[in-house]
Amino acid sequence: MSATPEVIKTIAWSGDTFFEQNIGWSASDSYAEVVLGYMDAYPGTLKPEITAQISALLSQQARTNPYAQRQFDQVTPEEVMNSRYIVYPFKELEICVYSEGAAALILAEEETAKAIAKNTGKPIVWITGVGEANEHSFAGKNQKDMSHIVSDYLGSHRAYDMAGIKDPTKSVQMVELHDAFIHQLEISMAEFGLVPYQTVDSLIEDGLMLPGGKYVVNPCGGLSYCGHAVGASNIMSAWSARNELTKRKLKTALIHGTGSTISQYTACAILEHE
Amino acid sequence: MTNKKRKLIPDEFIPEIRSRVITLDNQDYLLQNDTMYTFYERSMGELSPFFLGIKNEKKILGCKCSKCGLVRVPPMLTHCPDCEFAPTNLMEVGQVGRMNSTPPITYFATSLFLDKAPFGRGRVILEGADTALSVMLYTTTGILVPGLIKKGTEVKVIFRDERVGLISDIYCVPASELTPEQVAKKGLQESEINWAAPKEPKFPKPTENDLANFKQSVKEMQALAVKMSQSKRARRAIEGWKRNIAVKTKAGEFAMYIDNGDFKIEEKKLASPDFVMACEDPNTLLNGLMYKGSITDSVIMKRLWISKNLEFNTIFKLDRLARFLVMEQKEKKAR
Repeated sequence: MSATPEVIKTIAWSGDTFFEQNIGWSASDSYAEVVLGYMDAYPGTLKPEITAQISALLSQQARTNPYAQRQFDQVTPEEVMNSRYIVYPFKELEICVYSEGAAALILAEEETAKAIAKNTGKPIVWITGVGEANEHSFAGKNQKDMSHIVSDYLGSHRAYDMAGIKDPTKSVQMVELHDAFIHQLEISMAEFGLVPYQTVDSLIEDGLMLPGGKYVVNPCGGLSYCGHAVGASNIMSAWSARNELTKRKLKTALIHGTGSTISQYTACAILEHE
Repeated sequence: MTNKKRKLIPDEFIPEIRSRVITLDNQDYLLQNDTMYTFYERSMGELSPFFLGIKNEKKILGCKCSKCGLVRVPPMLTHCPDCEFAPTNLMEVGQVGRMNSTPPITYFATSLFLDKAPFGRGRVILEGADTALSVMLYTTTGILVPGLIKKGTEVKVIFRDERVGLISDIYCVPASELTPEQVAKKGLQESEINWAAPKEPKFPKPTENDLANFKQSVKEMQALAVKMSQSKRARRAIEGWKRNIAVKTKAGEFAMYIDNGDFKIEEKKLASPDFVMACEDPNTLLNGLMYKGSITDSVIMKRLWISKNLEFNTIFKLDRLARFLVMEQKEKKAR
């Protein structure tokens, strides 16, 4: 098993080789740039006690997921607040766990899907919309707006359009998103149009993502507690959304993956349960 | 120090980080050893003038679109994608600028940057530029802490004394920490700046109460150290690591020994420790080891002083030790 600094070095090879790798780029510091940019634009949001509660909530949700790599690592908001800084503003317990893992989905066209459903007795979950977007990797005039994840906004709204969703706050019931960092989970939820930018902390303060709230968010524990096997994680999210939609008898879920430097690339899909 | 592991590729086969110039069709191109330390060189290609400018002339180049006039720094494009690919021209920009957004600070770095942490990395819009250049950020005053450099903070480009033609040849410090002459000077080098030397804090004389508190804290830490040394999981946090640490507090001194999984605390003065920690109240460390507030944060918040920045790596391990012990206890309960 490699020590963590070795693992994050390997991931850091994905940064820009001319302008980023040589000055200590890491996935954490790259996402932190966007998070701090958001906090510059919306001061007073992403409060430490809120991100701590979200992390604690995800750790509870992982408890019932037998595939979660941190199934028994339930943490309290206080422990999250007390955990050490890794890359400011991220604390150790606000970061996903880099890991190894595998995930698979069966994708089929309509007739085959129906046949599989008939043979296995398992319900079909349809992909009704997909969307993706890429942003600039440099910041400044006519470049990436550091205070937003525009690719999240565009990716999700293109998927809504294809699925015929006019108002996502009325249609989306579940979100399985790429929570590489808890702060970014909050920003992504705002970019999806599910919570206003200015009051993004209402995810917890108004109970939007708490048990019994408006949205089920990362029921599998997310990348934070189920594990982030880079490449397989978003398949895992789709797997979880499929299972949870059918189990909870809900209709619509948004699934999401993001990556690259300053979170510039996003892909989203809408899953609908018959 | 750490147990040396045998390297798969012996050191003599690893090329030095260096660069050389070749000239093709009257154009200078900079060749660098590949960043992944494979055995090949790669050309900086069209970016050669930018990297050669940093290396040889201590200047920063951008490129200006001949149509829209947007100045991009670094000069990453020879043609402007916003103007139907109108050509861009190289031009020099200033060496003072403002932060485009608040920069993150890396305390826990990748294995290639352990000796550089803690450092900031952020985007600065230099005078005369429209886009932001990504740079490392330091403070001349010691450890970089949150709040010191924010969106809009004025920073100055500093050139390293030894330059190879990489973006790491430069970094920025807050302009407010320099003299007006230094801020105005083009090509300011790191050896021209006053860097604050680490200074061990002095504590006031202890009271009777402090002395009693010290005895109690050390006793509790010793008991905790025994538990940690017995925990399989906690031992993993300090596997392959060896340090003898002198800990100085207001009411007395003690020693911390980390030795490949074993963790021990003794009330003893160490003559030649690997490094020194100093904190007025020993409970700062006790709380950290009890998983009630991290030791890392105590260093950042200046409650705890360390004699070598590089020893942040040991501090992380102590925090992990505390977390792993708690995790093991929790997991036993949950299963």
